[in-house]
Amino acid sequence: MSTGQPVILGEMPSLSKLYVNAAAQAARRRILGAHDLPALPGDSHEVRGVAVDVGNLTAYQHLVGETASDVLPAGFIHALSFPLAMSVLNRDDFPLPLLGMIHLSNTVENLRPLVFTDTLDMTSRVENLRGHRAGTQVDVVTEVRQAGRALPCWRGVSTYLAKGVFLPGIDKPSTAPARPDFTAPDPTASWQLGVDTGRAYAAVSGDFNPIHLSVLSAKALGMRRSIAHGMYLASRALADVGPARGDAFTWDVSFDAPVFLPCRVALEIRSTHGGGAEPGRSDFVAWSPRSGRRHFAGSVTAL
Amino acid sequence: MSSVGQPTAGPAKTGSAGAAAVRRAVIVGGNRIPFARSGGAYAKSSNQDMLTAALDGLIARFGLQDERLGEVAAGAVLKHSRDFNLTREAVLGSALSAETPAYDLQQACATGLETVVGLANKIKLGQIESAIAAGVDSASDAPVVVSEGLRAVILDLNRARTIPQRLQILSRLRPKDLAPLAPGTAEPRTGLSMGEHQALTTAQWKISRAAQDELAFNSHRNLAAAYDAGFFDDLVTPYRGLARDGNLRADTSLEKLGTLKPVFGKGLGADATMTAGNSTPLTDGAATVLLASDEWADAHDLPKLAAVVDAEAAAVDFVHGKDGLLMAPVFAVPRLLARQGLTLDDIDFFEIHEAFAATVLSTLAAWEDEEFCRTRLGLPGALGSIDRSRLNVHGSSLAAGHPFAATGGRIVASLAKMLHQKGSTEGRPARGLVSVCAAGGQGVVAILESL
Repeated sequence: MSTGQPVILGEMPSLSKLYVNAAAQAARRRILGAHDLPALPGDSHEVRGVAVDVGNLTAYQHLVGETASDVLPAGFIHALSFPLAMSVLNRDDFPLPLLGMIHLSNTVENLRPLVFTDTLDMTSRVENLRGHRAGTQVDVVTEVRQAGRALPCWRGVSTYLAKGVFLPGIDKPSTAPARPDFTAPDPTASWQLGVDTGRAYAAVSGDFNPIHLSVLSAKALGMRRSIAHGMYLASRALADVGPARGDAFTWDVSFDAPVFLPCRVALEIRSTHGGGAEPGRSDFVAWSPRSGRRHFAGSVTAL
Repeated sequence: MSSVGQPTAGPAKTGSAGAAAVRRAVIVGGNRIPFARSGGAYAKSSNQDMLTAALDGLIARFGLQDERLGEVAAGAVLKHSRDFNLTREAVLGSALSAETPAYDLQQACATGLETVVGLANKIKLGQIESAIAAGVDSASDAPVVVSEGLRAVILDLNRARTIPQRLQILSRLRPKDLAPLAPGTAEPRTGLSMGEHQALTTAQWKISRAAQDELAFNSHRNLAAAYDAGFFDDLVTPYRGLARDGNLRADTSLEKLGTLKPVFGKGLGADATMTAGNSTPLTDGAATVLLASDEWADAHDLPKLAAVVDAEAAAVDFVHGKDGLLMAPVFAVPRLLARQGLTLDDIDFFEIHEAFAATVLSTLAAWEDEEFCRTRLGLPGALGSIDRSRLNVHGSSLAAGHPFAATGGRIVASLAKMLHQKGSTEGRPARGLVSVCAAGGQGVVAILESL
């Protein structure tokens, strides 16, 4: 699908401009009607020579519970490359509305550690447009390399759902996969998330999506209260796994019920140390101690 | 890293120069102030006040005025940042010679016992002749800190050079930054309180409510009986109007304990069993122990109650629930016994710190569990059961209270006296085992022997 040559952006795009543009695009499509073909743009977007602000890195690490080491946390690289990923979803030829898309799941391969003094090249593209019982889903694939190098150090796949959007020619799955019943285990950890959790993560990640910022801004977009960023929750779980994860690992998370703020989240995190041929692995699951609904679940597996 | 358990075989003895050459460290005696419930008689007393009071009682009891001791070590778990030299300041405020050096130590609830172990080792090595091991804690006079936001602004203001820089930094302040933070009891890595952690362990080992209440009842009954018998007359000095521990309920009953509502473990699958009656309350207090070489004690014509034989520390990987937060002593005790060539049957008194009644019972259950002892402790079978009539015979933390760092000193001084009273048994010195669990999944245990 890719045309091979990436579109090289002069600098990291501004997320706030992307959000404004997305809103304008949504209005335009509403007035003019959508003429979208069910095809994804083949171009990938690339930025080169991205530098890390060490103050921002430290603030991120402290917020999610990582020790402030020189190594970039896998979730920090996601936040760093997020505007680039959004710029692909924001293209005029991208067939789904960016605003209101739901982050269903995320997989990161942290192949080798990057440190804050590394200068980074990043590439994002979209692929795998497919049906979902509630709409249409798509994967955003981002790779991050040391500047000038070919081998990726970090590879992320974020799966988003455009809820209620059904495109011609893309069949939704005939049967909804049965959601397995969730019974909360005994917790091994408990998080108290304040009402400012979304603002605090926005400040370190740059993702000022209004649904995370305040009750008022979330209500404006149809949410009853603000919700925590999914990647904030996943990054805290990754931090809680701790040194058991090693230097190279795969980090998976799938999101269920949104985490409305403020609230308490209960978690179970289990690590099995790799013995012999078995890679070390940690599984985490988080739920609401009040309702018993699952918020998210995932794993960290040594590579 | 071991993937299964913590094998019991202790560290190999290296060469013959070690064990044979070291001399004995003896416990001369101890002194503490009665423990008060938080917000009670000591509400306005600081850690330094209480530690000094306990030290002065010890000094008076053993005639240590103006004495230059080898070293004093003490600590507090809830500690103000201004108290970086808490122990030295208490020594300067005491009747000891101002030339007595001191250091602070902090190992959560094991602080007090670890000061005994560290100083006894210095005596054994001949580095010092005499020492005071101590601990103090105030849950009433606890430090309150400013928010991270205000702290960052204050620190950045200190570094700013120009007025515009200062104004820019000040503009970062938000109203919520002005709210102070009280110290929490949650484990930093899990967000669960110690009680919530113990509730998980309690459920895992299926410890019943009745067994917990019975242990709590025995603690109160035994402590009250010991006070009535005058056991604490030369171990406790009254302070601020208290002559007995403020938490002691001599008239409590199993029925009364049975009426209390559970406070921990309510969200778990199992029934909640842990109440305010079978958990230790927040407490204020201080405790001290006088240690010496035989030569020093003899030269000063002081009693020698017991010897500090050996000690062992352990830690567990509690963060993801592999083991319970307070279960580290379960691993430390078999290692210590193995190194000394002893079994549980060779111990005459067990002092297992009652952080919660269920902590003691979970520890005993683990030692009685054959599979756990085989797979996790690396033993051929169960470590064994202990004779309950030898357990916490003069009461423990459920009745006395638990000012975190003071508990080790309380236990060691009391146990040394008990061992001395028992003297020898079956032609050998009486032995006592101390076990203290601590936050962070740690534990310190020690063996004392009568003199």
